[in-house]
Amino acid sequence: MAVNSEQTADRKAMGKIINRYPPERRYILAIMQDLQKQFNYLPKDALQMTAEYVNTPMSVVYSMATFYKAFSLVPKGRVVLKTCDGTACHIKGSNIIIDEIYKTLGIRPGETTADGDFSLETVNCLGACALAPVLVANDRVYPKVTPASLREIIEENRGRRDESTERE
Amino acid sequence: MKVTIDGKKIEAKLGETILEAAVRAGVEIPNLCYIEAFGGQGVCRMCMVEVKDGEQKRLVASCTYPITGEIEVQTNTPELQEIRRNIITLLYRRAPNSDFMKKLYQEYVCPAVEVVDPAEKCIMCRLCVKACEKVGAFAISTIMRGTEKRVATPFDEASPSCIGCGACAEICPTGAITVKEENGKQEIWHKSFEMSRCEICGNYYSTLPVKEHVKEQLDNEVSGENLCPSCRRKKLAGDLAKFSIK
Repeated sequence: MAVNSEQTADRKAMGKIINRYPPERRYILAIMQDLQKQFNYLPKDALQMTAEYVNTPMSVVYSMATFYKAFSLVPKGRVVLKTCDGTACHIKGSNIIIDEIYKTLGIRPGETTADGDFSLETVNCLGACALAPVLVANDRVYPKVTPASLREIIEENRGRRDESTERE
Repeated sequence: MKVTIDGKKIEAKLGETILEAAVRAGVEIPNLCYIEAFGGQGVCRMCMVEVKDGEQKRLVASCTYPITGEIEVQTNTPELQEIRRNIITLLYRRAPNSDFMKKLYQEYVCPAVEVVDPAEKCIMCRLCVKACEKVGAFAISTIMRGTEKRVATPFDEASPSCIGCGACAEICPTGAITVKEENGKQEIWHKSFEMSRCEICGNYYSTLPVKEHVKEQLDNEVSGENLCPSCRRKKLAGDLAKFSIK
């Protein structure tokens, strides 16, 4: 029962996002970006609804959804940690940060914690090489990360998630 | 419009691609993803040629380059041979498991490579995707990107729009798409189809959804007969024979 009502609520939310755009093929990307933002991933139902709405084959929509790194087909964590692994950050020890994240959260790049709090991704450059090694948690940028400051960052962001759920 | 292909002077139409003009002139340009009915896709890059337009020389994909002026084309310079050898080497490295690729690999005298997956056959020419589009099913597409790119149905599940026609497997140059056929069933892309039987010879020849699809496409202006291609041909020949020329 509970699952069903949750599903209908989700479908309603998806419909709302999709209907914001005219039913034309060229809005597929924009719709998917909004869906990704809302759900932290692209649910299968949402892709199917999008395909029907813009009258485009599902295979085409799926092809686009898997092409772009910005989209995920599996749920992502509420906080996405992006560690920069570009040249400057790499030399300044980004691999130590990645190892440290694995020690504290048990996730490697591309993975999500079981409780759905955190995902880890590596990016190739954030254009802030002077701040190396850089870590971005959702939209917050953390410069010159060390294993010690990393633990603080993780705790700070865990709290942040709690704030946001309380507000809802 | 006069164009020169490998020294041969030929008359080309405005907007026609170099490859089309070359085929007409009897000049062979190697390619892996071109089929006349589909037009140029510009996927495989095997058909690269050197175009000389005035003083300017450049390399273009002949299957998508439209002729708009009097150009001079070279189809087999050492530079182009090197490009083709590179393409074949890389494709072989990715998908060595077909006679098609093995033959090309030897023909182009490619250097030794360590293959990625010895069982892989797909060379990503996209002909299957195009064929599926042309049939009107749109069941398969290329998914992911870069080295992970492959042809698949959405979510790697049975696609509701697949009619099991097998056009994708038929057109595949390397036999990368598996079609299982047994006991009146045909399995392709994670989906199993009932087959229809020929009224005359009793052989299975097509899937049931294909019959429906053809009917729809032809606005039902199709005979209700269940005939396999060879029996249909025989029957048609018999019908035509009745018209004797006096």
